[in-house]
Amino acid sequence: MYEELLEDIAQTNGLREVNTYLKLVTGLGAILLCLLSTSFIAPLFIAVLLSGAIILLARVEARTYAELFIVPFWFAAMSVLVIILLSGGSEVYWSWNPFSWLSISISRESLNEGIFVFCRVIGGMSALIFIALTTPMTDLFIVMRRCRIPDAVLDLTMMIYRTIFMIMHLLVQTYQAQVMRLGYSSFRESIVSFSTLCGSVFIASWDAGEDLVRAMDARCYAGKFALLGETGPANCYSLAAVGLFLLVSSVIVVITRNIVMI
Amino acid sequence: MHIMEGFLPLQWAVFWWLIALPCLVYGVYRLKKVMDADREALPLLGVTGGFIFILSSLKLPSVTGSCSHPTGTGLSAICFGPWITSVVCAIVLLFQALFLAHGGLSVLGANVVSMGIVGPLAGYAVYRALRETRVNMFLTVFLACALADMFTYITTSLELALAYPAEVEGVGSSFVLFMGIFAITQVPLAIVEGVVLALVFKYIVQLKPDILLRMNVFPEEKINAARDDT
Repeated sequence: MYEELLEDIAQTNGLREVNTYLKLVTGLGAILLCLLSTSFIAPLFIAVLLSGAIILLARVEARTYAELFIVPFWFAAMSVLVIILLSGGSEVYWSWNPFSWLSISISRESLNEGIFVFCRVIGGMSALIFIALTTPMTDLFIVMRRCRIPDAVLDLTMMIYRTIFMIMHLLVQTYQAQVMRLGYSSFRESIVSFSTLCGSVFIASWDAGEDLVRAMDARCYAGKFALLGETGPANCYSLAAVGLFLLVSSVIVVITRNIVMI
Repeated sequence: MHIMEGFLPLQWAVFWWLIALPCLVYGVYRLKKVMDADREALPLLGVTGGFIFILSSLKLPSVTGSCSHPTGTGLSAICFGPWITSVVCAIVLLFQALFLAHGGLSVLGANVVSMGIVGPLAGYAVYRALRETRVNMFLTVFLACALADMFTYITTSLELALAYPAEVEGVGSSFVLFMGIFAITQVPLAIVEGVVLALVFKYIVQLKPDILLRMNVFPEEKINAARDDT
């Protein structure tokens, strides 16, 4: 809960001033190419290139980036194991039938399928983390308004964005006060303390939210937050780099479509 | 519970987006009506969203391409109904993908269907069924929240099973397997979540019951009776 939000890094990263649309096209394009690919090579290629961009261009510390990958990496490995055991195939290496409705096996096809899904998750996650680490949410609000997302939704989005930080701040303060008074010394105690924590933070942040709306009302808020629509211009070099990245990745998706690991 | 980016094949990612979109459009329509009618709903909606974000970020690893965590959607479904909750959830899931690399963008549709649509609908159905009966108000909240959580996981298991059916007995077999793996962590977690949210609700009834009365969440007599008891 107290982990550093990617947003904090995004606000100070090396690609902060690059055109928002360009970064979004890179990330979303990479996700789409990973999904379109039928071989493990293209997602891996995308993951390596985007990781390079995150570490070298956005100047995110390699250690921070690696830590970000630990959890998805672990999840992906575990779930791919389930897929390998379930999906079956013709060239079976090992199999077991514990129940009539369940058969577990490892085959060449299922290993290939597992490796492919694993690489796709790694490619997709690196593209997602690329967007998360290079594009602050405040820039995305501007894009959302340009994309004609209804004002009610956009206002709610910004309200939730603001509330998340408010809640985190209050949570940490109240939680520390509870721990100081042995609020989490037993399981029963923990449930009661956690509920009081949630309840009091809920009401406190709600009050803060009401104050915020009242303050905005006093400044002529009429159901639409004003936004400064500033984003850096797309220069030729970055445009060419993104174009080249997507082109090369697409070519790799096409030429490697029939390649399997084993 | 959020399915990870890249885990679902393209056709299933698109399929779940197509199911989620009409619900979201209807949710936006309802949201506009609520926000036009009552300006004070905005801070409460914001806090509800913030809470869903925090609660569903408390993740424990699970074996099935995702993880176990509370959802926190039950309370929102009770206060605002399932459709507005689906919009709030979609926003929260987008934030989680971009703030915590938790979930993803192509799988957002699938995650919205499980956590934002089916879960809250189940919770809301229980709440509607028990609202006018003599069943204790806090028990109603507990059941609605715990079931919203459970149904979220059942839906996620179904989404995973449909995308990766087992060789023998197909979708059914892998659904049972995914459910079984989830159940180890999720049944206790759903119960704890129900208890915690019922206690949060109790806290709100004690300290700030006016909003519950204004939104007609429970009949006035029930809320007053609960206040007198405590």
